[in-house]
Amino acid sequence: MSNADQFGELLEAYALGALDAPERAALEAHLATNCPECTAALAEARWLVSQLAYAAPDAAPSDMLRGRLMQIVRAEAAQETASAAREIRVARAAKPAVPYWMWAAAAALLVVAVYSTWTARKLQEQVYETNQRAIAELNSREKIEEELAAVRREASILADPGSFKIALATSQPDLAPMQANWSPQLGIVLSGRKIQPPAGDRVLQLWLIPKAEGSKPIPSQTVRPDANGNFVLLVATPPGAMEDTKALAVTEEPAGGSPLPTTPPTWVGTTASASPTR
Amino acid sequence: MHAFEQLYDRHCRIVFGLVLRIVQQAGTAEEVVQDVFLQLWRNAAQYDTSRGPFLPWLLTMARNRALDNLRLKSERQRRREDQTEELPGISAAPEFEKQLDEKRRAEQVRALMTSLQPQQKRALELAYFEGLSHTEIAAVLKEPLGTVKSWIRNGLLRLREGLQQQATTT
Repeated sequence: MSNADQFGELLEAYALGALDAPERAALEAHLATNCPECTAALAEARWLVSQLAYAAPDAAPSDMLRGRLMQIVRAEAAQETASAAREIRVARAAKPAVPYWMWAAAAALLVVAVYSTWTARKLQEQVYETNQRAIAELNSREKIEEELAAVRREASILADPGSFKIALATSQPDLAPMQANWSPQLGIVLSGRKIQPPAGDRVLQLWLIPKAEGSKPIPSQTVRPDANGNFVLLVATPPGAMEDTKALAVTEEPAGGSPLPTTPPTWVGTTASASPTR
Repeated sequence: MHAFEQLYDRHCRIVFGLVLRIVQQAGTAEEVVQDVFLQLWRNAAQYDTSRGPFLPWLLTMARNRALDNLRLKSERQRRREDQTEELPGISAAPEFEKQLDEKRRAEQVRALMTSLQPQQKRALELAYFEGLSHTEIAAVLKEPLGTVKSWIRNGLLRLREGLQQQATTT
């Protein structure tokens, strides 16, 4: 029985945390030798053990927990207002490099490949798969970071004492108003509640109406409210400055948005009516 | 806030169910769940995708926190202090895992637990939900140590087989 076989039998219990001290110490000493079989099997054993969570009875936490948690997160995001923009840049710049172990693994695979063409072909496939996985991991990591950065920026704009609140009123009695928060440094957050989603795949589009006479509306981003009519739209880099903008307007447009409005604005809020957030 | 809220809404039930099963009190469970998600928010960078898929990582972190909470109240605290990992180790899901949706996975795990003999099921529960070691489980169940070890290992291997079968029939 090889070391890997002998220790392999302990991996599930180790991942579970059930090994007694002597066995645990022996296994950890073996794992410290970087045995590739046991390292890979342990990673899968950890996944397997995590599946036991589904054996717990289904239960939902209270809405109060959600409210409390989001309140703390919002408050913490507000504290980061001053440095938020810089942090976002740093976070984006700090994309993880391909881990060293992956490079080391690739180098080791190449040395072995010299001895056998069969092995070489096999290993090439493994390297390809590893690279594909690494690319997928990097993409997934980047997506999470982008989502978190967007969340933080939304919260920062809403809490920024230097931002302005603009109410977007509508003349249609059956529609609720929208609200925009415009931070000169961090961008615009447009939000709405109980806004009837447009028919089909049509969307709502934000426009900046310039102060300059004869200027055309400047197109910004589009959004579709969710099934409950709620939405939050983050415009990190507005296409115009607040001091050059007379009003914000929202129209209904075909999917993907339009370069010029195709319908009259349903919601409008002037920058003259803007009030400081705090 | 949207992405974090979505993340919470997507995973709060499974995390809360797990933590509640371990700590047994709803109030304490909510405190632990709050800690887990706050840690996630404050240290988003700690989750590195090279550590494996996200949900197993989150569940392992939640289990560790919940067991730590139990141990604070027990004499096992000292013995276990050197054992709890600050962050979960690397995990890797097998290829077939992609075929499993959340509902089928939960059904399969619960069906397997129900199919085990009561003592074997209890042994797995004592290990996973109460953080007991082989020797401690043998003492609680008054069964030979070797029996407990094979119950736990075979139980987990059966769980893996069951999930694999479920995935291939999906």
